[in-house]
Amino acid sequence: MTTYTKPLPAISSLNRPYWEALKRHELKLQRCTECGKVWYPPAPFCPACWSDAVTWQRLSGRGRVNSWVVFHQAYFPSFQDDLPYNVAEVELEEGPRLLTNLVGVDLAEIRIGMPVEVVFEDVTPEITLAKFRPVEQHSR
Amino acid sequence: MSLWDLREKAAICGVGHSPYGRRLNRSAIDLAGEAIRQAAADAGLRRDDLDGLIVSFGTPIGADADTLAYVLGLKLRCYLQTWAHGRFTASCIQWAAMAVNAGLARYVACMAAVSFSGLRKPMMGGAGDTEGAREGGGGHGEDPVFGMTSPGAGAALVARKYFARYGATSRQLAAVAVAFRKHAALNPAAIMREPISVEDHQNSRFVCEPLHLLDYCLINDGAACVIVTTAERARDLRKPPVYISGMQGLPAGREEFIWTYPGFGISQQAEYDYEPGLQPVYQMAGVTPAEIDALFTYDAFSILVWTALERFGFCRPGEAAAFTQEGRIELGGALPMNTNGGLLSEAHIMGWNHQVEIVRQLRGECGARQIANAQIIQWANAYGDSLIYRRG
Repeated sequence: MTTYTKPLPAISSLNRPYWEALKRHELKLQRCTECGKVWYPPAPFCPACWSDAVTWQRLSGRGRVNSWVVFHQAYFPSFQDDLPYNVAEVELEEGPRLLTNLVGVDLAEIRIGMPVEVVFEDVTPEITLAKFRPVEQHSR
Repeated sequence: MSLWDLREKAAICGVGHSPYGRRLNRSAIDLAGEAIRQAAADAGLRRDDLDGLIVSFGTPIGADADTLAYVLGLKLRCYLQTWAHGRFTASCIQWAAMAVNAGLARYVACMAAVSFSGLRKPMMGGAGDTEGAREGGGGHGEDPVFGMTSPGAGAALVARKYFARYGATSRQLAAVAVAFRKHAALNPAAIMREPISVEDHQNSRFVCEPLHLLDYCLINDGAACVIVTTAERARDLRKPPVYISGMQGLPAGREEFIWTYPGFGISQQAEYDYEPGLQPVYQMAGVTPAEIDALFTYDAFSILVWTALERFGFCRPGEAAAFTQEGRIELGGALPMNTNGGLLSEAHIMGWNHQVEIVRQLRGECGARQIANAQIIQWANAYGDSLIYRRG
């Protein structure tokens, strides 16, 4: 296995369950059992109603592209070989938006509103990233 | 109702700046010293009159307030600094206006100084930049894990969504860069003075698509300073005062994203049709957008000019793309903007160069780029803060 040289996430007391779920290939975010809100980034209590009634809920993994960009310049050397590469903001069915990379799609085909679903990319033994691919290409 | 009416109770009494350049081979403290001393001389103040200092864009990138006070021999009783983000310009001036009226200081130098060329490692978006490492992602919405780095990337997300939602184009955005370059050509202090065309903009390389290189501001060296005091003291100094008529604080929270207004639907913002109403800054100053003679904004990326115009009600959402065409934001147009050339073409001094220009416009000191009979000038930003200045 080649060494993964791209930046890795900083694991904190708040986001640890998110990253542990991804490692099991599950997309989970916090949900408030009082007001029903689902949010990102992880918080010590519900940012909508300040309730402590917070659970980690498994999400559908489906969403749509809210906006996206294409990098033509590498700010980290480890992204140099990927140029030009996309970064998308995906709006999950449950509401929150995540930054991610779209996989399995040509840059010319990306559209705002495009339906996508999560794919799990194991980049190191400890870290799995949530990336997204168009629903049509790989569903069923 | 505000308990403490600060309308025109504070004023700018002096302005100064260092040379601006891409590689000046001078440190941030060195440049800061020149800007502060020039501002004091402009106001007719001596070193020991300065008892307050607010440094924006401080450590770890810009000059820091501690070192500045120590190296320049200042004797301060009121000082602070904001971290290395550019958007605290209005906040610094607000705090200074409050401090002088509360008697915490008499004269507060407000400024930023930076020597990007002297930094050991690249600070904007690369491994030396701690912005993307902020817990929860930070204000620009960066995430280096996915290669989402540098402030321009968040602005590119906004631009893509704006284009799609309102049918606007990169070609229309070029008008912003072209207008500010025209202004810079009239400004001897500006770094980029060669005229550019819409074609030049369209042919410039993509950095973070859909933004081209000419949608991006400069990365440079320089310092700019304004001195805030009470309106009463300012009237007795060397130059005519420029009054601070209205102030509006920098908002924060889940409905805010640094490069656009609430309701736009980027990052965790809800998406809805934004209605600015009459923003608090106008209510404090007792004016409406129609009375503003010129508008200055933090143009780190050209798209911010559109979102600022819409945030403050100069245009309805989606209409800034058309509004910024046909010379409307140029000198002689309906609403001249960033007559110094802005961050795009004069220099990136975190908006402090814009404050210097506003004051000089209101004093009638701008020569070839003077706005005829300028009385009221506004500083207003995509991220929601604002100041309204009036000629004294």
